[in-house]
Amino acid sequence: MAKIGVFICHCGENIGAKVDCTKLAAAMGEHPGVAVSVEYKYFCSDPGQESVKRAIRDNNLTGVVVAACSPRMHEATFRKACAEAGLNPYLCEIANIREQCSWVHTDSDQATEKAMDITRSMVEKVKRNNKLQPIEVPVTRRALVIGGGIAGIQAALDIANAGQEVVLVEREPTLGGHMAQLSETFPTLDCSQCIMTPRMVEAAQHPKIRLLTYAEIESVDGYIGNFSVRVRMKSRYVDIDKCTGCGDCITKCPAKKISSEFDCGLGKRTAIYTPFAQSVPNIPVIDKANCIYFKNGKCKICAKTCQCDAINFDMEDTFEDLEIGAIVVATGFQVQNNTMYGEYGYGKYPDVINGLQFERLASASGPTAGKILRPSDGVEPQTVVFIQCAGSRDPSKGVRYCSKICCMYTAKHAMLYSHKVHGGKTHIFYMDIRAAGKGYDEFSRRAIEDDEAAYLRGRVSKVWQENGKLMVRGVDTLLGRPVEIAADMVVLATAIIAQPDAKEFAKTIGIGYDEYGFYNEAHLKLRPVESSTAGVFLAGACQSPKDIPDSVAQASATASKVLALFSKDMLEREPVVATNNEATCAGCWGCVLACPYNAIEQKDILDRSGKVIKRVASVNPGLCQGCGTCVTFCRSNSLDLAGFTEKQIFAEVMGL
Amino acid sequence: MPMSETFEPEIIAFVCTYCTYAGADLAGTSRLKYAPNVRIIRLPCTGRISPMFILKALQKGADGVLISGCHPGDCHFTHGNYHARRRWMVFRALLDFIGIPPERVKYSWISAAEGVKFAEFINSVTEDIRKLGPFEQYSQLIEQTQAPASL
Amino acid sequence: MSIEEQYRTRAKELLSGGAVKMVIGYGKGSTSDRRRPLFISSTDEVDRLVLDDACIQNLSGYLVSEGLLSDEKRVAVFLRPEGIRAINILAAESQLDAEQIVIFGFDVIGTEVKALKGIHVEEFSDVINSIKKGAPEAKEEELFEKIEKMSPQERFSFWQEEFAKCIKCYACRQACPMCYCRRCIVDSNQPQWVNTSSHTLGNFEWNIVRAFHLSGRCVECGNCDRACPVNIPLRLINHRMAEEVLGAFDHFAGMSKTQEPVLASFKKDDSETFIL
Repeated sequence: MAKIGVFICHCGENIGAKVDCTKLAAAMGEHPGVAVSVEYKYFCSDPGQESVKRAIRDNNLTGVVVAACSPRMHEATFRKACAEAGLNPYLCEIANIREQCSWVHTDSDQATEKAMDITRSMVEKVKRNNKLQPIEVPVTRRALVIGGGIAGIQAALDIANAGQEVVLVEREPTLGGHMAQLSETFPTLDCSQCIMTPRMVEAAQHPKIRLLTYAEIESVDGYIGNFSVRVRMKSRYVDIDKCTGCGDCITKCPAKKISSEFDCGLGKRTAIYTPFAQSVPNIPVIDKANCIYFKNGKCKICAKTCQCDAINFDMEDTFEDLEIGAIVVATGFQVQNNTMYGEYGYGKYPDVINGLQFERLASASGPTAGKILRPSDGVEPQTVVFIQCAGSRDPSKGVRYCSKICCMYTAKHAMLYSHKVHGGKTHIFYMDIRAAGKGYDEFSRRAIEDDEAAYLRGRVSKVWQENGKLMVRGVDTLLGRPVEIAADMVVLATAIIAQPDAKEFAKTIGIGYDEYGFYNEAHLKLRPVESSTAGVFLAGACQSPKDIPDSVAQASATASKVLALFSKDMLEREPVVATNNEATCAGCWGCVLACPYNAIEQKDILDRSGKVIKRVASVNPGLCQGCGTCVTFCRSNSLDLAGFTEKQIFAEVMGL
Repeated sequence: MPMSETFEPEIIAFVCTYCTYAGADLAGTSRLKYAPNVRIIRLPCTGRISPMFILKALQKGADGVLISGCHPGDCHFTHGNYHARRRWMVFRALLDFIGIPPERVKYSWISAAEGVKFAEFINSVTEDIRKLGPFEQYSQLIEQTQAPASL
Repeated sequence: MSIEEQYRTRAKELLSGGAVKMVIGYGKGSTSDRRRPLFISSTDEVDRLVLDDACIQNLSGYLVSEGLLSDEKRVAVFLRPEGIRAINILAAESQLDAEQIVIFGFDVIGTEVKALKGIHVEEFSDVINSIKKGAPEAKEEELFEKIEKMSPQERFSFWQEEFAKCIKCYACRQACPMCYCRRCIVDSNQPQWVNTSSHTLGNFEWNIVRAFHLSGRCVECGNCDRACPVNIPLRLINHRMAEEVLGAFDHFAGMSKTQEPVLASFKKDDSETFIL
């Protein structure tokens, strides 16, 4: 006989103000099989959980329904409480009467009625719940870090320094990511290269880190603790083992006028190249699209120059198959293309540049060796206008969100400019100055007070060229008047956006993403570095726009998650797996084909003499992920899914 | 039911936990408001949603049924939703041929990020089913099950 | 020599040489226009075999009788093209090893019986291909077209009237070569997905489930329709399903013995116009 306890949580006012919890408790108390039905202000609180435990013990409950917030919120909490009271945790279910009831309905009676249906349905389900035991699976103690920017490097180093193996995969020819492109960093103005390159070298030389550059993730299969990852090693046309990185080939390469991606188009590179002088590994790649040999079949000057015979034009992509226990995704961001703002003239006027391009101009290793010079004529600009939120916080043309770092880097740009060009004038059009962070507000004040950055609160409507000047027309909303500035250079604080292939990539690894392509965390506040897929963690700007301190902090957080995972020999997995009734299975194997995880095998049932008397399907619980696709396919109703059994769902529907 | 009262349809929804259920939660945390007519049954994946569930929802007296899960390519289980889509395609044709109007069984893809789409979907489906009115033909069948079989 | 005689001779040869242990064919029925299945395992009985235009039953279902093929010996069977397609499906669904099946293929055009060349199922792929090509153009039955033109309410009423007659005898299931499950979903009572009482709701559910389970698997042999003691036009539902999987997924049931079941496979670009 079922003895179900129903615990109705008010969640303070969140549920209690809309749903008549007293009425709900009374109605559930009348329901067949319900032994206890009580309400309380906060069941998730310590005394709340204690009262659930006491009720389980005092009444010998056979099942528990907590009518409260979403199971995605507190299912784990209450299942743990049940286990502590001696009740199998899988005999506890959550009736979601907050997110899917009290918060979304206006009429109190209707909300109460719906809450009753939801709770009753759950009571009927829980009556048919089975005691389940977690499944233990082994853990491969090797982490994969995808992305070799600062976040990826930090995560890799932290994991490796704790003694665990790491494979660090970067799709560009070198580590470094966006941080390597930056000049100086706010709020301390230390040189980005100076703090970045040692970390790159450390990662490359670390005995526990295997570095795969110019490589991309081809496929990811498996599950937490047991991923199989295939990596495509793109052909560099340079033998990484033979090359010494002397750079002779680069000097001799006749194709010299290729726009440098690393310099954001402000500098040139050769066809065989390293993105920048401090590249790690310092091994060039041949850019097939621009190589004279690949285009015309003649040249091979690099091969002739190379003393080590490292150039190989016949090289083809190869694949590496990796066994991985945990994955850190640190794939970073891109900056938005500003040509969508036709009125700002980006792409039309060479002296309208974006923030990342300004970084290259200000960088000592950049195309101008750190001098701020106009791209059009190489002259030092005397007046520079910065336009903030060029794409961010603009639902009509750009993106709705704040890119977070632009206020700070624009203040930094103004500062760097005034340090480099004495007497130069800066004007900054802004919407708000968002300078929250340690030392950030002080930094932006310094730009204004010490370096005379002129902040104008308002938007720019148009930029045009007139008499060799860039005319910037905007509005100063604090003074309430239009402004026109004749500038020599305009810098747009471009929005940070997700990588263009972020969504496709998310599908490859099987994680969620938001409407912009930033990766979804399991819980914004409480599980910010975990993805919704167990064993896959998120670091850096692939999750949302971030500055360097935040990216590094998040990367270290993922490392701690990975290390916690690797601290166990066996992992416990939710026992939501399919099982097959071999007595009724017809052996049609449709399930074998339908299973996304190859978790169903064909099994022979033998008689005593070893003769096959029957062939049936058999589910490998280690591989099964519990989607239930096989169950739905099964015509003879032989397959079933623990936790979501046919009986349970039938009862849920009939209990409504 | 008096004619003056508007008909309030009963709708049962079967959703996957990773996308649509999470989207419904998001609608909640965003405090969006939508019609209270839908009761949700949470499943791990759309691949788990059996045509039998739809029949049982109708037997339970639902005037409409909703099915929703992750967008193609977004399935947490990589391709449960692709399998589901085929089944629905076939089952939908079957229901139509038997005379169960396809308008009463609605399908959608709603992601964890689409709280707004969820709320709008619930509202529009509730309105559509309200316009269709109660599923009287099916109610008759259900009533017959309670009466002794006629000779 | 008539086809009947040819096949009798061949059956005799196969049985006497031990190439097959049994021949499943047709024999005389209770009336002159009826044929009943005949299971022959000795050469003496071969002359009882009949092959004429009244041989319409699809005999493939007998092949999956418990234990028949488990000794790995061969069995010969008289099959029309639909029956041959059924062999492909049964093979694709691992219910039999196609190597064990020796086919006596025939087709009936008008009243004329025509032999189909071949012994093993893969030799009939041209025949099956040509049926598939003809399928979309084939003229629909009048009643089918009438139902298609009805409003949903009318269709519901039509089937309500038909299913009201159903006595849940499960003759349709018994006659169907595809209903080989050891336990049918209708026999599962934990939970009771399908109402077993033969009230109309239960009958609706049963016939819907059966049609769904046959989607992409039914070869439209008509066994169920003929077996139905209350004459429910079951063929029409199955035909609608066959039409659907052909149109939507280019799936024609029983094309080959390695054909993937349509509902256990998918394409990423499957149609989804109905999904909001």
